Amino acid sequence: MALKIGIDVGGTFTDFFLVGEGASARIHKCLSSPEDPSIAVIQGLEELAAGMEPAMSLEDFAASLETIVHGTTVTTNATLTRTGAKSGLITTKGLRDALEMRRGIREEQYNNRYTNVEPLVPRYLRMGVGGRLDRNGAEIDALDLDNIRAAIETFKTEDVEAVSICFMNAFANPGHERAAAELVRKELPGAYLTVSTDLLPSIRFYERISTTALNSYVGPKLSHYLDQLQARLKDIGFAGVLMVMQSNGGVMSPEVAREQAALTLLSGPAGGPVAGLVYAQAMGQDKCITVDMGGTSFEAALVEGGPVMVNEGEIDRLRIALPMLGIHTIGAGGGSIGWIDAGGLLRMGPQSAGAAPGPVSYGLGGQLPACTDANLVLGYLNPDFFAGGKIKLDVEAARSAIETHIAEPLGLSTLDAAAGMYRIACNNMAQGVREITIKRGSDPREFPLVVAGGAGPIHSCLICNELEIPLQIVPRESSILCAVGMLMGDLKHDFVRTFVSPLADADWSKLAPLIDDMRNDGAKLLAEEGIPEDARTFHVKFDCRYLKQFHEVSFTAASEAVAARDSAGIAAAFHSEHNRLYGYSLEEQDVAVEIINVRVQAVGLTEKPAMTAMEKGGSDATVAIKGRRDVYIPETGEFAEVAVYDGHALTHGHRIEGPAMIEEITTAIFVSASFDCMVDPLGSFVLYAKGREDLIKETV
Amino acid sequence: MSTIDPILTSVYARTFKSITDEMSISVQKTTRSPILCEAKDFVTGLYDAKGQMLEQTENLPILAFSLAPVCKYIIEYFEGDINEGDVIFHNDVFSMGNQNNDVAVYRPIFFEGALVAFSAVKGHQADIGGAVAGGYNPNAKEVWQEALRIPPVKIYDKGVFRKDVWDLIFANIRLEIVQHDMRAQMGACTVGERRMLELLGKYGQDSFENHKAALFESTRKMMQAEIAKIPNGSYSGEGKVYFDGHHLGTVFTIRVTVHVKDDAITFDYSETDAQTDGFVNGTYTSSASAAVLTFLQMINPDIPHNEGMVEPIDIIIPEGTILNAAYPKATTFGNHLCPPNADAIIRALAPAIPDRVTAGWNNLLCSLTTGMDDAKGEKYVDIFFMGFKGGSGGMDGTDGYDHIGMIDASGGILDQDYEMFEQQTPHHLQMHEYLTDSAGAGEWRGGLGIETKFTFGSDDTQFVTFGDGDFEPAFGLFGGHDATLNSITLIYPDGAEKVPNNKDLITGVPKGTLYHQFAGGGGGYGDPKRRARDMLRTEVRDGTISEDAARDVYGLDE
Repeated sequence: MALKIGIDVGGTFTDFFLVGEGASARIHKCLSSPEDPSIAVIQGLEELAAGMEPAMSLEDFAASLETIVHGTTVTTNATLTRTGAKSGLITTKGLRDALEMRRGIREEQYNNRYTNVEPLVPRYLRMGVGGRLDRNGAEIDALDLDNIRAAIETFKTEDVEAVSICFMNAFANPGHERAAAELVRKELPGAYLTVSTDLLPSIRFYERISTTALNSYVGPKLSHYLDQLQARLKDIGFAGVLMVMQSNGGVMSPEVAREQAALTLLSGPAGGPVAGLVYAQAMGQDKCITVDMGGTSFEAALVEGGPVMVNEGEIDRLRIALPMLGIHTIGAGGGSIGWIDAGGLLRMGPQSAGAAPGPVSYGLGGQLPACTDANLVLGYLNPDFFAGGKIKLDVEAARSAIETHIAEPLGLSTLDAAAGMYRIACNNMAQGVREITIKRGSDPREFPLVVAGGAGPIHSCLICNELEIPLQIVPRESSILCAVGMLMGDLKHDFVRTFVSPLADADWSKLAPLIDDMRNDGAKLLAEEGIPEDARTFHVKFDCRYLKQFHEVSFTAASEAVAARDSAGIAAAFHSEHNRLYGYSLEEQDVAVEIINVRVQAVGLTEKPAMTAMEKGGSDATVAIKGRRDVYIPETGEFAEVAVYDGHALTHGHRIEGPAMIEEITTAIFVSASFDCMVDPLGSFVLYAKGREDLIKETV
Repeated sequence: MSTIDPILTSVYARTFKSITDEMSISVQKTTRSPILCEAKDFVTGLYDAKGQMLEQTENLPILAFSLAPVCKYIIEYFEGDINEGDVIFHNDVFSMGNQNNDVAVYRPIFFEGALVAFSAVKGHQADIGGAVAGGYNPNAKEVWQEALRIPPVKIYDKGVFRKDVWDLIFANIRLEIVQHDMRAQMGACTVGERRMLELLGKYGQDSFENHKAALFESTRKMMQAEIAKIPNGSYSGEGKVYFDGHHLGTVFTIRVTVHVKDDAITFDYSETDAQTDGFVNGTYTSSASAAVLTFLQMINPDIPHNEGMVEPIDIIIPEGTILNAAYPKATTFGNHLCPPNADAIIRALAPAIPDRVTAGWNNLLCSLTTGMDDAKGEKYVDIFFMGFKGGSGGMDGTDGYDHIGMIDASGGILDQDYEMFEQQTPHHLQMHEYLTDSAGAGEWRGGLGIETKFTFGSDDTQFVTFGDGDFEPAFGLFGGHDATLNSITLIYPDGAEKVPNNKDLITGVPKGTLYHQFAGGGGGYGDPKRRARDMLRTEVRDGTISEDAARDVYGLDE
């Protein structure tokens, strides 16, 4: 038996997705162990082993595991809670404060109580050293090694665990950084070291110094965690391959992750879009929008052929200039609190009741009405079947909190107030979806919505109504979609080099070797990770702009155009992408195009687990009806009695007419009056706008 | 006869905001001039058929409160001759414009044949004609020496492009990128129109009108409640303006009396000094914006920005004063009268709401270099954003923000990236660091100022300064100390030093000249002896406060 498992460690739960020959796909959840997350990993594996048919010992189970792909939030949490390594920075003399200044931004302009974020390296450990390169990389002043030695002495005295090196204009010549690194390695052999041009050899000093410092800050913590995890896995007899999830939706070996820890900083939600595509493909679509609504946040991402990438992002207002999935996060979740602002308008979130004290209906001490409380009052949640009945929900408490805090101040009935909370939450999420579609030049109506997260499928119909999206897919694995995505990811390594030049006059005798270098670096890493040559592919991207513009557009260049050194063909791709994003191009005005960066993504294709297709049965789903209850119908603004289906009894081919409720242990699905539902071959609930059966195209 | 659904009112409010944000992203990503795409010196907004503000995205607040008055002026000016497909330009400072360089685009939005709203974008253009490239002419005495005036003019008339009008305007503007940037502003207005039509299509015009009124009402109540928290009374304060660009040693005073009566507030500038005969003059809308943005920082920052927010605020600025110059005076420096205007307001209100004011903010002293990048054979223009950003004032419970810049941007203007700066100019950056002891001392200290040095990389550079803050530092409050002064010094290759005036134009600066700038800190709040000792020890360790200052000013004894 060869099993593959995806393990997604979250703040509250650790999710597992297991597939393999001789066993049907299984999902599992257990409580996380924040002190040492590997404890919950092992415990979950033990529970999975016991649940096998027939039951297996942990050792036998571990031995049958071929691959574990692991998503971790160790680095994310270390950054958010400022519990990373004590770090030192060596940078160019006179510029050491760039890291803390963050280009002088205050994000909330009218808020004088809004303070700057604490820098990852305190000022007394930020060392400016002599040595200077000009904008072309030529040396103006030689590197002052004595300054570096003095910095190292301070780091020794201060017990610095991690060191970053980032010099001005090093993107054009890494010589000084390498010389400094050599000295640090020699004098401080135990320290974790990040050299900016190893991690990110591209132009823009603030982006580079911030990313470098983040990597050093979280590197020791991730290394330590991976040591613990690998030791525990070895103890139980695991001899397969361990991979780590990255923010770019790909996976990497633990060895690469140790060196480039910052690649995991926004990896938490990265599995979702990767998995989303698999379910969309079952409906004959090569694109989708994925949304994931958890307890405190809502994440939306666009997938077109593959998940859409961006070249930078932020964590806790700190810049990370590494390629990552373009996931937009807003503070909207089941725990989002409803409140009345000083002008008397209803708002939802971003404050969240979280897991503790949680929504009022949990009965754990929460006093303020949350989104979950409104969902309960509106009939979308079954008080006796939340988490399969493990948690009893207190409807009366929810109703009374909404009455006191929302209905009375607004002069509404309790039900209207709850409906208002629901509508505002959905509107907020619809605006979140606009961020990743309309604002990036895509029409949301052309994409099926793949819905994840325990609370997602209660809200998705109204989100779709707002955006006129006619098709939604709710996978069976909706509550652990990220863990599924982990098994669907390829090995991915991103490289970048700055090459500032007009595109039309690009000197390919310099550009081509640069691309080859990145390709070779990628091939080397993939070889180390055991990927054979025929499973390696390489994508070349350019970051270009019209002359004198400030912002670049990143786009993929056809491999033929790169091979043929066809600058004109690459320019055509740029014009077309600019037009798509911003509604115009300047191709006809003949404005020069300038290259800023060249990028290569090296991809090692991994073997994906096959999803098992269900046998198709009849369309009559009445057998799965387990009851009827009143729920709020947003289209009419009234309550109506609808059928409640047992999701676990629904199989391929079943059809359900909206409005209706479908209940599973980890998820509740609301099919509104504008939608009907059918079950597809993967068991997903496919909701289509009434009359749009034409959208159902089963391909499995 | 639709009724008000309080929930739908929230949906409208959120959607208006999302639309103006989307318009803002569109402008930022498609414009060429760094003043727009890097410094974000523009505002996007939506207005109703009467020109009342629905929502704005205020990247640079000093422009923000001129768009609605101009919209109202445009409606009046065309006397009903506003049609579907029109696009209107405007910059004229004598018809509610705030600064000549800030050129606005208005696009009327029609739904089912009726005018329902406007989308608009106002942005600072890289050039606007006049005697000096870029618009800052310290020698100007009249508007015609500063800029091309654009009273309301249709660039599209019922959807038809008016090539003759376009050419007339751009024949008077030096840089071609201004045409591209104005196209980008028009594009963003189209984005706003599209989204507004979607919204109207969904809910209908009646619902829109009724809920808009409800939204204004709710915001007005919110603002009135904020004003009501201020004790009734009349409060006066002053701010100083140093040098009019013509007569060294001149000083002018901005005087405000703030009258608070229950839930209404009036800013009365009747006692303010007369206008100057140079370009150091404000326009009504730039001065009123300065008052509003300063006041907004003293109240709940969560308030929606629409007509209801500004209604309870009355602003009296007599024509002929330095804050509201009479036709045809020069006014380009007017936006930069915001810092002394804010000083006057803060000083006035500090006794009334001591827990909600900051101490003084660092004033702007900015430089601009123009010349040839010899190694590239290209012309360049650079406004040296990174050098001028000093600290904000401390307040009860919160230190000032380090290196944030003047109050009219409040941290909205970003430093150039160092490496991009060296790509785009021939200059060579030597230093850009926090300045030790620049923060005004206090229990809550001011934000830190900075020290910056670069060397000029080409000969024959033209060098312009504009600003203030080199005579008077940001002031402390309630026992807090003043901060440090602004200064700029040029050290020529032969060792000669030149300190330019705070409004100056110097030509022929040679390669190798060292530029040395100090941007001062923000003022301190409260007695420095009461500053938390552990914070002080950290600051001494980090070198942002010297050991001497810690001991002598803060009384830290170790």
